[in-house]
Amino acid sequence: MFSLNQRFQTVINAAITYAIFIIFLIITLFHFQLYVENNITETVKVNNLNIIKPILNLRTSRMFGGSGKFPKENLRIKFDLNTDLSPLFTWNTKQVFVYLTGAYNSTSTSSSEVTFWDKIITDKKNADLDLHAVMGKYSVWDKQNGFSNKDLQLKLHWNIQPFVGNLIFGEAVMSNSGDILHIPAKEQKTNGTA
Amino acid sequence: MNLRKELTNFLNLCFIFSGAFMFWKGLSIITNSESPIVVVLSGSMEPAFHRGDVLFLWNKNKYNNIGDIVVYEVEHRQIPIVHRVLREHKNRKGEQFLLTKGDNNNGNDIPLYAPGKKYLQKSTDILGTVKGFLPQVGYVTIWVSENKNNAYLFYGLMAIAALFFNN
Repeated sequence: MFSLNQRFQTVINAAITYAIFIIFLIITLFHFQLYVENNITETVKVNNLNIIKPILNLRTSRMFGGSGKFPKENLRIKFDLNTDLSPLFTWNTKQVFVYLTGAYNSTSTSSSEVTFWDKIITDKKNADLDLHAVMGKYSVWDKQNGFSNKDLQLKLHWNIQPFVGNLIFGEAVMSNSGDILHIPAKEQKTNGTA
Repeated sequence: MNLRKELTNFLNLCFIFSGAFMFWKGLSIITNSESPIVVVLSGSMEPAFHRGDVLFLWNKNKYNNIGDIVVYEVEHRQIPIVHRVLREHKNRKGEQFLLTKGDNNNGNDIPLYAPGKKYLQKSTDILGTVKGFLPQVGYVTIWVSENKNNAYLFYGLMAIAALFFNN
């Protein structure tokens, strides 16, 4: 009746059932804490985002989108940022990935979104960001055109990686309306390669 | 030696394997992904994902958002890569092109792509988008696949268990 095999199967089945139940409980509690208790859809906002200057460069390297004959316009931005991401941290938050992006239309029929800067935050103590005159991490080029005379809609996204459960994505609320960045045309140079 | 009993055992074994196979393929159909569950093999997404973590994928979305963590496979290389979308471009025809980067890497993934390729195409290159996460459970598969002796040991134990513990 009670063979080793039967016991083994009973134990395994019970363990898997409990594990699934516990994981669902963790996910539910985690979501409740984030969306109800911390109210992250409203409390996570950008207090200040100031683009000090957009920097345009022409680059010929393949690593920067160019090719020998056709240099690409590369864009970096220098900015101030003040935002408090600590509501995103609970007992199940392993890390928060925060990234500053710009959305724009490359042509009238195509749309794009690119990342200028990102940061990994693993501790609640470091979640209150106050950055001054930071240079964006990435030199960005467009797939089709350049950035001259384009309007970029700036967004600050965040992404929570939990210890266990599903990934959660969201966008910080922009408090000032100055989140559209206009890129002026680059002044022409005779030897415009970087 | 009871032939009928041995045959029943064998049938049971077949049943287990076909059941597992059906589960896997069913999950593939539901998620629209070739491999709906993957195990992380490299440290390029640390500290988000470590070796041995199990990821659950979903591939029914038409477009990827920026910041999504996607799994892709480079042509002629059988290793799935788990990296984050750094840029996305949609063209006039509605096709989406992605540039990816590992959180823990310094540069973007262009050197990893097939020669001459500068972007991944959402509709053809992406195996799935990471939706859920279980830590460390997949380490068994790494342990088995990276050492031949471990593999023999594992399958041997399975075979012995199947022969002896079937009632």
